[in-house]
Amino acid sequence: MNFDPVAYTAAALSAPVLLVLAAFAILLLPLFFKGLRGTQGLIGLGAVLVTLTFFRAAPQAKLLLFYGALEISPLSSYLWAFALAVLGLTIVLSLARPPAQEGNEGEFYFLAVMASIGLMVMVSAGDLFTAFIALELLSLPVYALAGIRRTKPGLEAAYKYFMLGAFGSGVTILGIAILNALYPSLAFEALRSAPAAAPQLALAGFMLVIAGFAFKTALVPFHMWVPDAYEGAPTQVSAFMAAAVKAGGVILLWRIFSLFSGGPVVKVFWWLTVITAVFANLAALAQSGLKRLLAYSSIAHAGYLAVAFFGGRPGFEAVLYYLPVYAMATIGAFSVALVLEKDEKGPKIEDLAGLAKTRPWLAASMAAFMFSLAGVPPLAGFFAKFYAFAAAVSGGYTSLVVIAVVMSAVSVYYYLRVTVVMYMKQPAEGAMTAQQAPGAVEAVVFLMAIGVLFAGVFSGPLLSLAAEASHWF
Amino acid sequence: MSAYSLASISFVLFTLAAAGFLTSGNLVRMLMFLELMLNAANVALVALGPQPASQAYTVMLFAVAAAEAGIGLALIITLSCAFKTLEPENIKELKG
Repeated sequence: MNFDPVAYTAAALSAPVLLVLAAFAILLLPLFFKGLRGTQGLIGLGAVLVTLTFFRAAPQAKLLLFYGALEISPLSSYLWAFALAVLGLTIVLSLARPPAQEGNEGEFYFLAVMASIGLMVMVSAGDLFTAFIALELLSLPVYALAGIRRTKPGLEAAYKYFMLGAFGSGVTILGIAILNALYPSLAFEALRSAPAAAPQLALAGFMLVIAGFAFKTALVPFHMWVPDAYEGAPTQVSAFMAAAVKAGGVILLWRIFSLFSGGPVVKVFWWLTVITAVFANLAALAQSGLKRLLAYSSIAHAGYLAVAFFGGRPGFEAVLYYLPVYAMATIGAFSVALVLEKDEKGPKIEDLAGLAKTRPWLAASMAAFMFSLAGVPPLAGFFAKFYAFAAAVSGGYTSLVVIAVVMSAVSVYYYLRVTVVMYMKQPAEGAMTAQQAPGAVEAVVFLMAIGVLFAGVFSGPLLSLAAEASHWF
Repeated sequence: MSAYSLASISFVLFTLAAAGFLTSGNLVRMLMFLELMLNAANVALVALGPQPASQAYTVMLFAVAAAEAGIGLALIITLSCAFKTLEPENIKELKG
């Protein structure tokens, strides 16, 4: 391969650098120029679009920058494109339905862009400490975003997320301190082999780090904040949390998991996966709020993603295909909740009654998201689950996959319930008074529905991209 | 004082702080315990780690801890204005 590393590095780094500049422009420029007030979202969206154009065909190479702190490779380009797409969709949703009060737009978009930069740094981090700092850069803005409305539900969501997230950070730092003492360096490559001294202590360090990251990824039993945070946060922010924060945590957990080929850490992951898949799906059965249902669904999907870890490299390929597919369905479902919501806690599932009559296309899209999340062919969610589970089976973890498939069958019940309510139930009297939503939210819904359909029926392009990216891990 | 006695002090401090965080029923106190946890972990980092790298890490973690304290305090102040209480038991707007 013939390419100029300096030019490639400059092109690759221009994406995050441009976003940082855009973030500060969003925050500061409107303070000095009154004419720019209210356009912060457009600046952010423009920056995202410009940044996305930098993703030309990246050279097939892995570059280590800043003494190994950042790894730039086709894998990071793939995940950066994912992060930027999620950010762009969040901005579009927020432009159509402003989540922040008048005058707070600057903070809102600044925090959203900063969180995305944190995600981008995190997925390309080359060592554990960089990954942790990036995780904080991702989490801290999202704590504030959850409470940006300063109303009771939002603040409660924010404080619950903050307290447990910060607790997880403390645990992670202690784990990092232990690992830092035992290993010569915190680079992921250096962590691969057993330490020279005190393997038990190293195991304790890894457990602490995994527990801390599991808080952010929301694996049971570290999930307590998720339902409340997703329900109380502005729906746009919930969509961002479900798609972006989860993706970052999953990639980070995979980096830790892939350091081990067996032993207690794999066993702990096995149990975390099983408990997550079982508990989240059972708890989701009892939910009546749409956003709460989606929160439990997102916990369950973290479990399915963790199943794919057990498949080795094909499993990681499945994870890379799973993440955008899951993100499309979840962002779409949250956008439907955004269209229908009347208060901050979002619609109840019963509020969807009769949607098929009043808004047939919206109902059809919602049904597509639900079926994709449940894993019904030919939608993309089916193939994502299929590849994830097939990888784990070929890795020899059949019992794990059996549990996951059974719980996935349970999940069909609550996903189907949403669809049944939309198509079979009559709307309550007086409810569903044609509440006209801005067109942009519906555009996002339809875009996601098309994406879910096409990524399933024509899964080839996305799959080959994911396969190519997974080779650069 | 050897590095290991310093490290054991930091582990004890961390455990106490974590226990305090989980049992205290007041948001400000929880935030203080959180900061104590972070600082205990920082002490462990400095006491155990290879010198220059872990000290650099600790300086960066100070910044993280400060940012966390800033966001936490801001949240708690707005929260106490909205709910007129600082006890998590009385903040139950959301189900669960």
